Formats: sequence, C-alpha cells, structure tokens
Amino acid sequence: MSENSINVKNLSKKFRLYHEKRTTLYESITGSINRKPHYETLQVLDDISFNVKKGESFGIVGRNGSGKTTLLRILSHIYQPDSGSIETNGIVVPVLALGLGFHPDLTAITNIYQSSILLGISKKQIKEKIDDIIKFAELEKFADTKLKNFSSGMQMRLAFATAVQVDPAVLLLDEVIAVGDVNFQKKCLAVMQDFKKRGKSIVLVSHSSTSIKELCDRAMFLKDGSIEIIGNPDHVINSYENYMSKLEK
Amino acid sequence: MVGIREEMWKNRGILFNFATTDLKIRYKNSVLGVLWSILEPLLMLAVLFFVFSSMFKFEIENFPIYLLSGIITYNFFKNGTTIALSSLSNRSSLITQIYFPRSIPAISSCFTAGIMLIVELAVLGCFMAYFQFTPSLTILYLIPIYVLAFVLVLGVSLGLSVLNVKFRDIEFIWGIVLHAGFFLTPIFYRFDMLPEEIRNILQLSPIVQIVEMVHHVTLYGTLPTLNSILYSVGSVFAILGIGYLIFRRYQARIVEEL
Repeated sequence: MSENSINVKNLSKKFRLYHEKRTTLYESITGSINRKPHYETLQVLDDISFNVKKGESFGIVGRNGSGKTTLLRILSHIYQPDSGSIETNGIVVPVLALGLGFHPDLTAITNIYQSSILLGISKKQIKEKIDDIIKFAELEKFADTKLKNFSSGMQMRLAFATAVQVDPAVLLLDEVIAVGDVNFQKKCLAVMQDFKKRGKSIVLVSHSSTSIKELCDRAMFLKDGSIEIIGNPDHVINSYENYMSKLEK
Repeated sequence: MVGIREEMWKNRGILFNFATTDLKIRYKNSVLGVLWSILEPLLMLAVLFFVFSSMFKFEIENFPIYLLSGIITYNFFKNGTTIALSSLSNRSSLITQIYFPRSIPAISSCFTAGIMLIVELAVLGCFMAYFQFTPSLTILYLIPIYVLAFVLVLGVSLGLSVLNVKFRDIEFIWGIVLHAGFFLTPIFYRFDMLPEEIRNILQLSPIVQIVEMVHHVTLYGTLPTLNSILYSVGSVFAILGIGYLIFRRYQARIVEEL
C-alpha cells in the first residue's frame, strides 16, 4: 500500500448524454410533463483497476473519447466516480490540456498565486518560488500580462512550471509536452526524470508513441472505457497502433 | 452545518484569494476602480432623495441617513447574492481543472460583499458627520445585525450558486426578485406608511426585518422587538438550512454540467 501512490479499484463512471439539454427552468418543467427520456447514459469508464508505484511513470494511450481525461479528472477528485475506489497518497496536481484553471483576466503572477493556493500551497511558500516559476516558464517579460493575451504554448509553459514548483507526490499530465517548443520539451523531460528519482509518480496521457516509450515504465491502453492491455510500454504501444491501423481500414 | 464552518477555516487562504480576485476582476479596467462601490449607492441615494423629498414630500426624519442606511443594507444582500449566483458558472475553467470544495466560491462572494459593505458603512459615517447626526450607542448593535444578514446572504448564495449552473435562467429570475425586493422593502418609505394587510405579508421577509432593525438601532436608538428578533433569526437560519440542502443535493455533479 505505502509503495503505491495511486490505487484504483473497480472504478466506473457514467455520463449523461443529453439529446436536448434542459438548461432552463422552463425546459425542465415542460420536459418533466412530457416524460420523454431526454438523455442516455454513456459508460465512460468501466471497471478500471490499476496502481501506480512511487517513482514510477505511467502512460495512458487510447483514441479520443476513450476516457483518458475523465480518468485523470477522477484521479484529481474533480469528478466523483459512480462506483469503485481511488486512493492517492500526497498532493495530486493535474495539468490538463487547457492549463491549471487560469483566469483570463488575471496576470500571470496572480494566476500562479490562485492556482497554487488552490492546490494547497501557502502564500508564503509561493512567494519564495515565484521567480523560479516565471524563469522556468521563460515568461520574465510577461509576468504582469493578463492571461488572455498569452499564446496556448505560453499558458501551457506557465501551467507546467507552476505544477512542478508545487512539488506534488503525483503529477498528472494530459497532452502537455507536445505544446512547448523543442527546448522547453527538453527541460520538461529533465524535470520529469528528476521527479522520478525523488520517488514521485507521473501519469502521462499522450498520443505520441515515442514519448510514452521513452518516458514511461509501464503503460495502459484504454479502449472504450475499459482496460485492453496494461504493462510494458512497447507491448502496449504495439497493440494500440495495431488497433488504430485496423480502424483506419 | 458545522462542516461549513470547518471548511471555511481550513480553506481561508482560498477564500481570501477568491474574495480579492472577485474585487479585482469586478473593477478591472474601470478608471474609478473601487470608488464605484462608493459611488453606486451615492448616486442611488441622490436620485431617491430628489424624488422623495421634493416631488412626493415624504415626511421622514433624517431622511438622507434613513435612505442611505437602507440602501447599504439592501446592497449587501444584492451584491452578495448576485456575485455568488455566477460564482460557479464563471469559474468553469478553474472547476474543471483543479479540485477545491464547491462551497468556496459562494462563501467568498459573501466576504466580497462584506468588504463592500464596510466601505459603504464608512460613507454612512461621513454622512452622519455632515448632517451632524449623533447616533446613540445602540448603533453598536449593527454588528450582530450584519452578522445575521451575512448568514442570510450565505444561505441564499449557497443555493443560488449551484442552481444557476443547473438552470441558467435563475440569473434573470433573481434579477427580477431583487428589483421587486427593493421596492417592497422599507428603504425610501416608512414601513408604517403601508396598509396593515400588506405589512403583515411583507413582514415575513427577513430582509425587511433586517432593514427595519438597522433603522431602529441607527436612527431611533431603540432595540427591535423580541418577536422580530426571534423571527428573523429563525427564518434566516431556516434559509441557510434550505440553501445548504439545495447545495448538497447538486454539488457533486455540478462539474459535469459546466
């Protein structure tokens, strides 16, 4: 137990797929009179069990809509699972495709504060680290610029830099490395290696077979919400690529 | 209910951060900045004062102070609930990317409104000095009254914040409720000017009770009746309970709706 940083057991999650979403009171009143079913359920994750050891990096592959991001959101407690259990040891920091919950009308500095406070770091600790974050993200010139004027690459760099400085026990990365330029990617890789050495875990979602093979100790292939294969990254990538090329035909 | 208090204390860093960013975003890019929170009630005061002292000739002692204390109290309710209403739906990117207790945005909205209230009370103080009005010591009872008002705002806010994600037209309905409430609350008229049947109905509103209490302790140096205190405390905590229940029912799935 203590050697694992993530334990997931029999996790399932359904979503409601609305045909005609009732977002107003009027619609939900008239809708409940009609009594037509206005949604169907979609099994996004079906009976998933796996664990991630401390110091391990774990890759997840699968086609779009196979439940990868949902899984990461459940691991970071944003979504609640319908059934099954998840256990995480220590702070979990998710860097999902769009950043770290940045607000477009706040500057880079205020956003770093807001996100780090939400992730459980005290204001004093951030103050000491804020220069490092800005420097790592190579945004010295833009520290007081509002986020809405940032390019997506800049936002991603800021998110990654902030997440790393929070120094979580588990780092969840969703298609993150692909956004930065080559030099920044190198920097990210170095940081991730260092993370692993210090006994911290990384969960990496990526469509890039090479980065899964290079970075991950183990990998998992999610197919329509259930685990197809889990284990050695080379095997997993093979089976994933076979499946994808079959789909093409 | 104890849960809320503990959660508030544990997450005070986030609360404070949300309250200040709310203010920053609210007054961003405006030349006068925070001054707006003073100007808005003052402009309202000027209009109402002109209409009701020169056109309708209401005979109310110390009318400017009567008017301003009512506006400020009602503003606290209005600001808190309107900020809370969109506090979850405005933070969709944050909520879908980082976990934090869903009650925090609603609670922090109440604090944002509280900060605005303090600024406006300072303006009321200036007005009292200008009109050479010396309130009696009962004015200190404003503190427990505004604590009660805070609980009221909190209860309404918790419910509204989740409901507005579920039903987007709550925003418009609430706008109308607030407008109607302003006219149905004794802010620019004295409550006893109304016929008794109407008074009996309006008395049920806790915000009417609170505004009346504010008038009692600031202007007349008297305490509100025991009945009215008991009723207000009871109804405010009932509203907090209902708001909390609504919040608890919807909070878990609210992310999926954003």
